[in-house]
Amino acid sequence: MSADLNEPIRNSARRVTIRKPVSRSTSILLGIAIWVIFFTAWELAVIYESVNLLLVPPPEKVLGTLYELLIGGRFPGDILVSVFRVLASFAGACLLAVPLGILMGTFPAVESFFNPFVSAWRYLPAPAFIPILLMWLGTGEGPKLALLFIGVVFFLITMVMDYTRQVRIELIETSLTLGANQRQVLWTVIVPAVLPNVVVAMRQMLAVSWTYLVIAEIVASTTGIGAMMMRARRFLHTDEIMAGILVIGLLGLLFDVLFRWLHRVLFGYLYNQGR
Amino acid sequence: MPSTNTLRQTDITKLIVERVGKVFTLADGQEINAISDVSFSVKRNEYCVLLGPSGCGKSTVLRMIAGLETPTSGTMLLDDELILGPDRDRGMIFQNYTSFDWLTVEKNVEYGMKCNGVPAKERKEMAADFIDLVRLTKFKNAYPSQLSGGMKQRVAIARTLANKPGVLLMDEPFGALDAETRWNMQELMISILESTDTTVVMVTHDIEEALFLGDRIVFFSSHPGTILEDGPVAFKKGQRIGVKEDALVMKGYVEAERHIMALMRSQRPTTDE
Repeated sequence: MSADLNEPIRNSARRVTIRKPVSRSTSILLGIAIWVIFFTAWELAVIYESVNLLLVPPPEKVLGTLYELLIGGRFPGDILVSVFRVLASFAGACLLAVPLGILMGTFPAVESFFNPFVSAWRYLPAPAFIPILLMWLGTGEGPKLALLFIGVVFFLITMVMDYTRQVRIELIETSLTLGANQRQVLWTVIVPAVLPNVVVAMRQMLAVSWTYLVIAEIVASTTGIGAMMMRARRFLHTDEIMAGILVIGLLGLLFDVLFRWLHRVLFGYLYNQGR
Repeated sequence: MPSTNTLRQTDITKLIVERVGKVFTLADGQEINAISDVSFSVKRNEYCVLLGPSGCGKSTVLRMIAGLETPTSGTMLLDDELILGPDRDRGMIFQNYTSFDWLTVEKNVEYGMKCNGVPAKERKEMAADFIDLVRLTKFKNAYPSQLSGGMKQRVAIARTLANKPGVLLMDEPFGALDAETRWNMQELMISILESTDTTVVMVTHDIEEALFLGDRIVFFSSHPGTILEDGPVAFKKGQRIGVKEDALVMKGYVEAERHIMALMRSQRPTTDE
């Protein structure tokens, strides 16, 4: 077979090509498109009444309900309670997990002692502790904070330990041959080297923390976003349930954005790829 | 006109490696005799190159001098003091970049001095001198992520030398650089040594680099790693050559290169073919 050399080379017109990047505008357009399709499908389903309106309210009704909930009533208080629970338990988990994870990733002796214990706990689903936490800690804030703490702390320890182990040995050896002692290596090399990844691990585990929050509030609470949703279920207020889901999603996103911003601010030196 | 300078080499012995051996024990209990009966010494201000085929254990020898690995047998002395572990008198530069990302160039260079309690003012002055020596003054306040590979290695050199080590250890320091940057760095090394009082032990597998930089080459054979040949780079007649192409055309260069290549070839496992 011979090719016609006078034939101009035509770019392949494929839209979907393996590992071929799309332009930024296409990427944004596609990202918006999926949401437009989602809401259109929802809206159409409602308009043609192919769903029970009591169970699936139209999207604009959900937004309207959300607005009403936010300007009056208990909902703002519920949101604050939920945010407080997540932040308080997460702060506690970080205070324990970050130093312990760094020590375990630095000293194999510390790892050998704690790791069999920590890894075992990771395989126990945190919600399994709800009955016993309720018995031990009553019905106040205690069991909720404890559940969130248990759900996050063991994973966070393991992630921080793994990231600490990944600190390149050459950095440590360089420091040693410059005359640093063990303490100096830990504080001036290992800690600053692992810190950016610690913030990444915290960001990931904060999302998990939100998951456990909703479980805790649905099972055993009269306050918080999850409890509000359970109340709404009793009165068949599906619009309020969906508004609750929306708020949880938005809060999760907000914290994620906050952590990304924090990472950029604290570790700006990683972002200036120059030459 | 070749730019040359007289070697300020003295006859004082700086580093002694005496009958050093290293046996690795594998997980299944099998013992590997990695280094066997290695002895050599390095004089003050000498540039000593450890050369040999890959896997001959030259890097392990260097790491033992650094104190990062412990020999199974033998002793090592720096300035008549027994080497027991890593310390500031044996600064090491690695092939992989070791700049501390979270510190500016200046703070990187100050790092060792800070660990060793040098006062802030003195530290800053010393750092400025050594940053100037590696020609990075313009980048004093830059972070490593803004630097090229060659510049990162220059930071490492300044940081190690500013710490005043008794001997500078380099493990294939230019191995990750592209060819042009590599010979620029090699020439920079020659000019740095001209103005500092520095003894160097460097590992490389690059014959050209060994001949250009080394005052002396210690050639290792493999399995087990042991010294096959140890001698001065004769064609340079005790001089250091500042420009690489000048070294390449010197009388005796080609013969020296041929000789080392023949040594390398003799070490190739016959099962290869």
